[in-house]
Amino acid sequence: MAAEATDEHDKDDKDDERLAYRGVVQRMLVRPEIVGIMAAVLIYLLFWGVTRPFGNAAGVATVLDVSATLGIMAVAVGVLMIGGEFDLSSGAMTGAMGIIIILLVKETGEMGGAGLSYWIAIPLSLAIALGIGWLNGAMVEKTALPSFIVTLGTFFVLKGLKLAGSKLMVDQIQVGRADEGPHYNFWQNVFGSTWERRDHVWDARDGVYTVLLLIGGLLLTVALFELVFRRRAELNAAGLPVFVVGLAGIAIGVVLMHALDGTDWLPMFVIATSGVAGAVGLGMWRYQPIAARGAITFAPDVVRPVGIGLAALAAAIVAALVLDPADDSDIVPFVTEQGLRAILFMLLAAAAATFVAIANYRAREISVMTKSAVLGLAAVVTFAVALFIQSESQSTKFRTELFAILAIGSLLVAAWTVVSTMFETRRAEDPAADRLGRRIAMVGGGLVLLGVLVRLLFVVQAEIDADNRSVLAVFSIRIVWFVAFVAVMSYVLRSTPFGSWVYAVGGNKEAARQIGVPAARTKTQLFMLVAGAAWLVGILLAFRLNSIQASTGNGLEFEYIIAAVVGGTLLTGGYGSVLGAAIGALIMAMSRQGISFAGWNSDWRQVFLGTILLLAVVANGYVRRIAESAR
Amino acid sequence: MTSLLALDGLAKYYGNIIALEGVTTTVEAGEVTCVLGDNGAGKSTFIKILAGVHQHDAGEVRLEGEVVRFNSPRDALAKGIATVYQDLAMVPLMSVWRNFWLGAEPTKGRFPFTRIDQQMAKSVAKEELFKMGIDIRDVEQPVGTLSGGERQSVAIARAVHFGAKILILDEPTSALGVKQSGVVLKYIVAARDRGLGVIFITHNPHHAYPVGDRFMILNRGQSLGNFAKADLPRDELVKMMAGGAELDQLTHELEGA
Repeated sequence: MAAEATDEHDKDDKDDERLAYRGVVQRMLVRPEIVGIMAAVLIYLLFWGVTRPFGNAAGVATVLDVSATLGIMAVAVGVLMIGGEFDLSSGAMTGAMGIIIILLVKETGEMGGAGLSYWIAIPLSLAIALGIGWLNGAMVEKTALPSFIVTLGTFFVLKGLKLAGSKLMVDQIQVGRADEGPHYNFWQNVFGSTWERRDHVWDARDGVYTVLLLIGGLLLTVALFELVFRRRAELNAAGLPVFVVGLAGIAIGVVLMHALDGTDWLPMFVIATSGVAGAVGLGMWRYQPIAARGAITFAPDVVRPVGIGLAALAAAIVAALVLDPADDSDIVPFVTEQGLRAILFMLLAAAAATFVAIANYRAREISVMTKSAVLGLAAVVTFAVALFIQSESQSTKFRTELFAILAIGSLLVAAWTVVSTMFETRRAEDPAADRLGRRIAMVGGGLVLLGVLVRLLFVVQAEIDADNRSVLAVFSIRIVWFVAFVAVMSYVLRSTPFGSWVYAVGGNKEAARQIGVPAARTKTQLFMLVAGAAWLVGILLAFRLNSIQASTGNGLEFEYIIAAVVGGTLLTGGYGSVLGAAIGALIMAMSRQGISFAGWNSDWRQVFLGTILLLAVVANGYVRRIAESAR
Repeated sequence: MTSLLALDGLAKYYGNIIALEGVTTTVEAGEVTCVLGDNGAGKSTFIKILAGVHQHDAGEVRLEGEVVRFNSPRDALAKGIATVYQDLAMVPLMSVWRNFWLGAEPTKGRFPFTRIDQQMAKSVAKEELFKMGIDIRDVEQPVGTLSGGERQSVAIARAVHFGAKILILDEPTSALGVKQSGVVLKYIVAARDRGLGVIFITHNPHHAYPVGDRFMILNRGQSLGNFAKADLPRDELVKMMAGGAELDQLTHELEGA
């Protein structure tokens, strides 16, 4: 009995210890959308590797266009899911709203509609949408049945009404035309306009892009230091000159690289050594050195994932060597040898990186030196892969750009290895350091984003000569609607009482009710939100397509749910984010467009989506567990 | 002087089942009244009457001298009676400060831009918790990551902050370890010292005795008496809780077999 009590005591003490401080990584990992962001970057890189359009403005505009309508719905459905409910009628409702608005404005006549002005039809159709949403919510609340069943009923009713209504009103299974309505032109600007942009030639693009990325990267590194390491009690002046010399060395290396046209080893070497020196200098200047580092321990928990990672990488290289990159014929049904090579290489390399990250995470618990060993190995291997790609790849894009990315990546990991072995990690709150670190990170991130935009929005003459054409990028206004909707909903969910209530009714409805949250009203409003979003999407569709099929939107409700889940929304409610759902939609749009840009058989899209969904759910659960146990 | 809350001959019947009968006790401001009883003794019914979930069938409830009847949980809350249930009205995945303010978020700004005053909400939550002796390092952390005792104390601090006069605690220590129970008992004392009348419901006399000023023991829906601390030595309380005569009987049976 006494022993038990002591155990309990000890455990509690340890719990309290762990609650004391959450490092920057844990704080980042606990955000619901983190897996989505990583997956989005990975998928973007995959398609950027195998297709041309992902690297230019036209392709990006198309992807954004596709993600807009999907994203608006995914965000609304995601918020509803955070509130603990589903809406299976959401897909059918988008088409229904499109049909309703067209019927309202369509000319009267034998095969006609109501002939109303858009000025009346738009608010009227919104009212109808909100009415349907209210009905969904009220039925769920009054019957206390699962929303899955109730909205499944609404789905079938809407689906049937669309078909029967279309035939009844216009004797067709397609209702047109939106442009018959009075005041069409004004509203066409609001819901249907586009901005066309021919690629601008700017030969300084690559220089500007490189410099922006480099400065942004440096600032992000400095911010990371500030957030992760413990400040010294007093600054050590000796470090500052080393830091400055390191920065100067990087600058010289970049200039050299430019002068030598990136073919010589010297600049790479200069950048690498001065990068590491600069990092060490910064560390010496500001941060506390580590007292005890421990020994390298080959624990199975660490060795196993490292082994699996290396094996995956070896398999990736074998795949790349065996498969012929120039072969356009199908090797397995519907996939060309070229495509298979790219997919296999990317997936296996990503798996390798994941396993090494897991090993690194576990090694941290053992000793500083063990962690450094894993990281150092990762840096060396990454650099080797970069060299392999440079020597093997058939594509110029891979040879230069992917090589540069991997080389810089390995350099960053190497520098991090050295520095994290030398300086002590912060284990206590330091609001001043947090604030400074966050500000620097924001500026750095902004510069990187700006660099990427420069890269996307401009072309160099050489590319046009190679392609023999200029590309027209068409940005549609629905992208603006999407971004605005994400911004507004994000604000509502984070900053208003209603947002808090949404999380509360999804997380623990009884508790929320007990404490005075109007739970039924909140849920009903969420159903109305989804209906409102469906109304917006319906209008966007009507202005884009001019006529709406009776089947439009049917079956898409699961894509919205998938997007939200991929973005980190918990199926059981109470957890998730607007940004996550939006990124989930982006992932779906990227995979849809990427598959078609790459010329793969689009029948496989569903398989791809299903796989992403499963992986995302598993990864989300795993990351959340790490994040919560690490506190 | 009138008591903060006085109960006189309170009774509740479910059909012909007597759930509670003849319950008489008082709760004073700045004092802890402990209600003890085994499972099925009527503790839940007792709480539900005071929390407004059920209405009593006989007897009288006087709040600051006035005869009252709590028609709904909201009504009881409005009259200053806050109940912290065993399963806690907390949303585990939500942060501490959002849980603290849930349903009564402080806002700033005009209508379309009405938003939660986060800075104020966080600092007040932290401060209120600190006043109760709870030092939460980061009010952004989800309630689910707190220990059981800390969760109880957040609920207590919330009730105190929102102006409760009487705090009902439903078995706050029953699911906790030894140390955590001690922590919760400290918060009960802290709430008492801030002038609240506390009703502490438990089946553990060892938890009740150190903090209680008055004890009422329930057994099978009947009150076994209402004692001031001075009239009731600890051993006596333990013996009454353990079922006294019944335990003697049981010991006899077990030894005989």
